[in-house]
Amino acid sequence: MDKKFYLTKQGLQHLKKEYEDLKNLRFAKTQSEFPKTMDSEDVNAEYLSFQEDLDLLETRINELEFILKNVELIGCPQKQEQDIVCLGAHVKVEINGEPDEFQIVGTLEANPTLGKISNESPVGEAILGRKKGEMVALNTATKVNYKILDIKYGK
Amino acid sequence: MKKLVDFAINVGKLKGKKRKGWTMINKIKDSETTAEHIFRATILAWILGKGKNLNMEKVIKMALVHDLCEVFSKDQTPYDNLISKNMKWREVREVLKRGSRNQYAPGQREKMLHKKFENEMKGLNRLLSELPSAIKSEMKNLWLEYEKGMTSEGRFVKQIDKVENLFQALEYWKKYGKIQRDSWIIAAREWCIDPFLVEFLNALDKKFPNSKKVHQS
Repeated sequence: MDKKFYLTKQGLQHLKKEYEDLKNLRFAKTQSEFPKTMDSEDVNAEYLSFQEDLDLLETRINELEFILKNVELIGCPQKQEQDIVCLGAHVKVEINGEPDEFQIVGTLEANPTLGKISNESPVGEAILGRKKGEMVALNTATKVNYKILDIKYGK
Repeated sequence: MKKLVDFAINVGKLKGKKRKGWTMINKIKDSETTAEHIFRATILAWILGKGKNLNMEKVIKMALVHDLCEVFSKDQTPYDNLISKNMKWREVREVLKRGSRNQYAPGQREKMLHKKFENEMKGLNRLLSELPSAIKSEMKNLWLEYEKGMTSEGRFVKQIDKVENLFQALEYWKKYGKIQRDSWIIAAREWCIDPFLVEFLNALDKKFPNSKKVHQS
């Protein structure tokens, strides 16, 4: 069975747009047209590389096709379940007494520098399914304790 | 041929380029260089990537190129705007303890990452500019796949980079004792998702137990 890729609504929109843009670019290249530039600042530098290199373009298009075929949208849990950490939750914690805040996302959107932690990481796995007020110990030889202070869904 | 020699001379500069995170921020004397980091990261990618559904030639090459941009780009850390040269070690330690991500507004973090990416891309383009087009494209694509996590290989090497960083942090912690050990341990467990790498992290913890008396510099 293929792996599922969990994405937020925003993440899915972003990938779909990238996929359409790259397909348009591939079409333009085969027609020897000068492609329109993407409006997203974030992908501009890569876009230039895609213009130069068909292999990278094909690799990325194939990867995106695979992802979009196996995508699972992260929804908002029922109201009675919103005090539990599920995918998409914004969680306020104290880690060994230090305050921290992050969102639990699927692996493709994860970037801990930006406060987005994968559900498949040891931190994500430890926090998922826990409730506000719970203490969670990370499974390491070193003592790392998370206290869940707040859980929120949506922006 | 001259262009290949020039490229090799430039790459060789990484043998002497000390990593700023250790020297400027953690005040580690005789810290590792970028080339040293690349060396162990590549070996780790090789030994920890074997047996997975990954293109290993690509993984190893990717680990080799992942920080080549630093020949010409600034070595940036998330703490650059939070720690100044005049700060006392006690103050620096407090900043490091809090971690970097919550000390910036969300939009600011994205902007900083984007700027870092652009600077590094510029540095890489400069380094590769005189290479034959096939090898230039290969190196640049591998770097982009790593940097943007575009493929399974890119996402794996990104985790390897974090494992190597933790490894080095624990070695410095053991030697000098002034590294924020817990922050590094937590960061690696936020980045790594591969079960074998997580197992390796746990083995690293045991190799550098917290109860061990550290040598103060």
